[in-house]
Amino acid sequence: MKKLIKYTFLFLLSILIISCEKVVDINVPTAETRLVVDASIQWKKGTTGNEQKVKLTTTTSYFSNTIPIVTGAIVFITNDNNMTFDFVENPNTGEYICTNFIPEINRTYILTVVYNGETYTATETLKAVPQITSIEQRNDLGFTGNEIGIKIKFQDNGNEDNQYLFRFDTNISSIPIYNVLDDSFSQGNEIFALYSDKQLVTGKTVDFTLYGISRQYYNYMNILINVAGGNGGSPFSTPPANVRGNIINQSNPEKYAPGYFNLSETDTINYTIQ
Amino acid sequence: MSAKKIPIIIVCFFFILNSFSQEKFTISGTISEVRSNETIIGVNVVIKNTNYAAITNEYGFYSLTLPKGDYEIAVSFVGFENISEQINLSENLKRNFALQEISSQLEEVVITESNKSKIRKPEMSVNKLSISQIKQMPAVLGEVDVIKSILFLPGVTNAGEGQSGFNVRGGGADQNLILLDEATIFNSSHVFGFFSVFNPDAIKDLKLYKGGIPARFGGRVSSVLDIYQKDGNSKDFHINGGIGLITSRILAEGPIVKDKGSFLIGARASYLHFFLKFSEDMKDNTVYFYDLNAKLNYKFNKENSVYLSGYFGRDVFGLSRSFINTYGNATLNTRWNHLFSDKLFSNLSLIYSDYYYGLNFNLVGFTYDSGIKNYNIKYDFKHYIGNNLKLNYGINSIYYDFNPGVITPSNLDSPINYKSLDKKYAFEPAIYIEAEQNLGKKIAINYGLRYSLFYRLGTSIVNLYQNNQAVVFNNDLKIYEKGTPIGTEFYGSNKTIANFSNLEPRFSISYELNENQSVKASYNRMAQYLQLITNTQSPTPLDVYTPSDNYIKPQIADQVALGYFKNFNNDNYSLEVETFYKTVKNRIDYIDGADLIANEAIEQVILNGKMRSYGLELMLRKNTGKLSGWISYTLSKSEQKTEGRTPAETGINNGDWYRSGYDKLHNIAITAAYNYNKKWNYGANFTYQTGQPVTYPNGQYEYQGITIPSYSLRNENNLPSYHHLDVSATYSPKPDKKKGWQGEWVFSIYNIYNRQNAASISFRQDRDTGANEAVRLSIFGIIPSVSYNFKF
Repeated sequence: MKKLIKYTFLFLLSILIISCEKVVDINVPTAETRLVVDASIQWKKGTTGNEQKVKLTTTTSYFSNTIPIVTGAIVFITNDNNMTFDFVENPNTGEYICTNFIPEINRTYILTVVYNGETYTATETLKAVPQITSIEQRNDLGFTGNEIGIKIKFQDNGNEDNQYLFRFDTNISSIPIYNVLDDSFSQGNEIFALYSDKQLVTGKTVDFTLYGISRQYYNYMNILINVAGGNGGSPFSTPPANVRGNIINQSNPEKYAPGYFNLSETDTINYTIQ
Repeated sequence: MSAKKIPIIIVCFFFILNSFSQEKFTISGTISEVRSNETIIGVNVVIKNTNYAAITNEYGFYSLTLPKGDYEIAVSFVGFENISEQINLSENLKRNFALQEISSQLEEVVITESNKSKIRKPEMSVNKLSISQIKQMPAVLGEVDVIKSILFLPGVTNAGEGQSGFNVRGGGADQNLILLDEATIFNSSHVFGFFSVFNPDAIKDLKLYKGGIPARFGGRVSSVLDIYQKDGNSKDFHINGGIGLITSRILAEGPIVKDKGSFLIGARASYLHFFLKFSEDMKDNTVYFYDLNAKLNYKFNKENSVYLSGYFGRDVFGLSRSFINTYGNATLNTRWNHLFSDKLFSNLSLIYSDYYYGLNFNLVGFTYDSGIKNYNIKYDFKHYIGNNLKLNYGINSIYYDFNPGVITPSNLDSPINYKSLDKKYAFEPAIYIEAEQNLGKKIAINYGLRYSLFYRLGTSIVNLYQNNQAVVFNNDLKIYEKGTPIGTEFYGSNKTIANFSNLEPRFSISYELNENQSVKASYNRMAQYLQLITNTQSPTPLDVYTPSDNYIKPQIADQVALGYFKNFNNDNYSLEVETFYKTVKNRIDYIDGADLIANEAIEQVILNGKMRSYGLELMLRKNTGKLSGWISYTLSKSEQKTEGRTPAETGINNGDWYRSGYDKLHNIAITAAYNYNKKWNYGANFTYQTGQPVTYPNGQYEYQGITIPSYSLRNENNLPSYHHLDVSATYSPKPDKKKGWQGEWVFSIYNIYNRQNAASISFRQDRDTGANEAVRLSIFGIIPSVSYNFKF
């Protein structure tokens, strides 16, 4: 009898709450390709930050398995102290490398990319980040309250408005998980980042990176994370938006480049689930 | 206000009043159901062989004024035996009639109000459903649903299965005024949108106004859904109820003082969570909802009756100890019906309504409480001046108390600071007058004017912005961003922060081509001062209404509609054809990435746009016989546009018209009931809608290790079309039993061919492979169910 009731319930629940997800074939249009600028300058605490990388690719059709790389572009960053840092192409990777970059907190930098006769620029400020103060493993996370995960703490600076980007790289997923947070509800408090997953069992690893970011980059990532995550995949999702970054095409303003140029101080911590 | 218009109207009325010359008397009274004394709305009272006719109002009252003489008065209502009586009218008369339900259901099942008066009346774009019709329609999991039933009417759609709210003539779900015994219901759904908050046993009937909206209604631009609760049986005590898969219901009604007063008390509760206890994985989770309906009424004498009605409903949804969510409506309404004379009916209502939303997020460590309270005083008059003229007039004023949210840390470890978002207050008074008038034998008109005002009141601190623009345009990046306040202004208690006023004319006309055919036209202007802050496809319980203020302008809608109405085959069939065009000013739109929840400065993410919709609606009904039902078809467009405020700005979607989220080109709905014999009744529904407008990606790119879909213009694509077929069978083992225990079984199958309708299609990266994929979410497959109803 008990079993019967349980099955009745599971049946009800399956139709009421879990519903049904299925991968389907959908024909989608493909727009004209654009340059994509992936320029995230990260100054990890305790390093010089001299080595930096900018990746240039183009847009492609949604279901394509390869991302076209961009070669032969000119890439450099200048700062408001008139210093220039050149980025040299690493052949056949789409990556442009700089080895003498000088990161300074709150300094403003300008990225310039010249490609196909068009000049793209972006301006951003390098933001500081607090130190990660602790990491602990928890076994009561997730909506079901029994998932294993980690809780990472850091101290918010109560004297200013701060925005944070969290990145979790794990060996249970081929893609990193991002999250953004601002301190508007937590000004000056000890803040934590949570990450949990059903598959996070003993021996799995989590690499966590904490970025200090600008308000503008926070807004950008906030939309981007939503758009990339299938927008939550529910009828309660918001209309998908085109995420417009800070890369401006000076030669042809209509044809902006997706992507973003940001500069962040970062702190990282690695953890293996016990 | 254009003070000039009022005297003209008054002069016009006096002219009509003075045109009476013969000696006239009034016959008036109340019409009720014989077994319960439940008053009946919309009964036809006709003086035979004349043009005199009346329809009972919301309280079952009618009044007719005729020249002295002998007449035959006929009272008719679908599903009830007709009554006719000889009267000698030489003084004012009171006549109450009690109608008897047609005993043999087999003979006659009628699904609409008598059609003769419908042809004549200058009322269009209105659909009426009685609870008995609604109960015949197959429903998901056998849960009879008032809101889902109106989706079968022309011009009404929703965002799909399990979605809350409904869209009328291409309007948003927030643009519908939902009234339960005149009290505003802010959220009409349980468990997101799976079930509606209305307990079918406590409901008498409903009326949906899609256009030609009478002047007594205001405050929402799209539609009015006017739902009435039963009064309760004032003759005998009865209990009825039902046991279903999801909920069980029980309702008791009976006299307080026989024939004078009655009570009704009903409860409905879901019991899913009891089953949760048996599951190891789920035992810490809860999901349940309940409703309580109560009503008391007492008739002091022929002139005075008092009604007290209330509703209380809650949803509780909890996941383990990490998350508990509670929300629901509460309403309380006291009404006093008073007859000043045989010709002047009045009703005074004092209404309190409250919507609460609370969240306890233990995982992070905070609670969030929000809600709206409103206090409403209404005084409405129905003045039956003569057979050719009836006046409705009244006043209405609502005081709102909005609580956008209080955030409280729930434990010492919480990273969250206490924060109380600024409360908002507003006052919305209105006066109206409208006339229903016959101009000769062929033409009837209904014209009225509503004058509405809105005051956004303190205490409040209002942000000030450069150039008064809370949203700024970043010309380099071509995106909208939040503005930064340049200062604030404090408004003390009850100080006016912003105020608006609108004259809302309403007009409709019918021209009778002959007894069985008419053409009608209508125009209405509506103003809406409360805006629902939501940017999801269908509303969620968390969505909050916010009052208009310096930055958020009231929505103003203008709608015209034309219609053709025909009864044929001896009223067995009726056809309604309507076409409409509607525009709405100040429809709010949101900047990309707007965060709406607990946003203290909502003006920083809002742009004012506009919308328009137009369409054609057809409805063919079979009114009588063993097989009854209707086919409705709607062809319509609904679009939105938010232009840049200056030529340099892009606006939303490049400032072009784009399809709104509820644009459904085709919408077909068929519902049928078949009375096979006394024991077995069958029902079937079919619905087909063009898939919901959505935006598919037109490319992808890589950024920081993840792929991002890129999008072009909004809502250029459609989800696959939405359709399902449902059937039901009702078995009454002892159909002739009129006393004691009477039971019936309802068997139903929803979505009989197991269509996997897409609630959404999301584009995302597979976690294991990193490849892009499109994922369809569908909610209901085929769902069989059984429920048992009883009464004694």
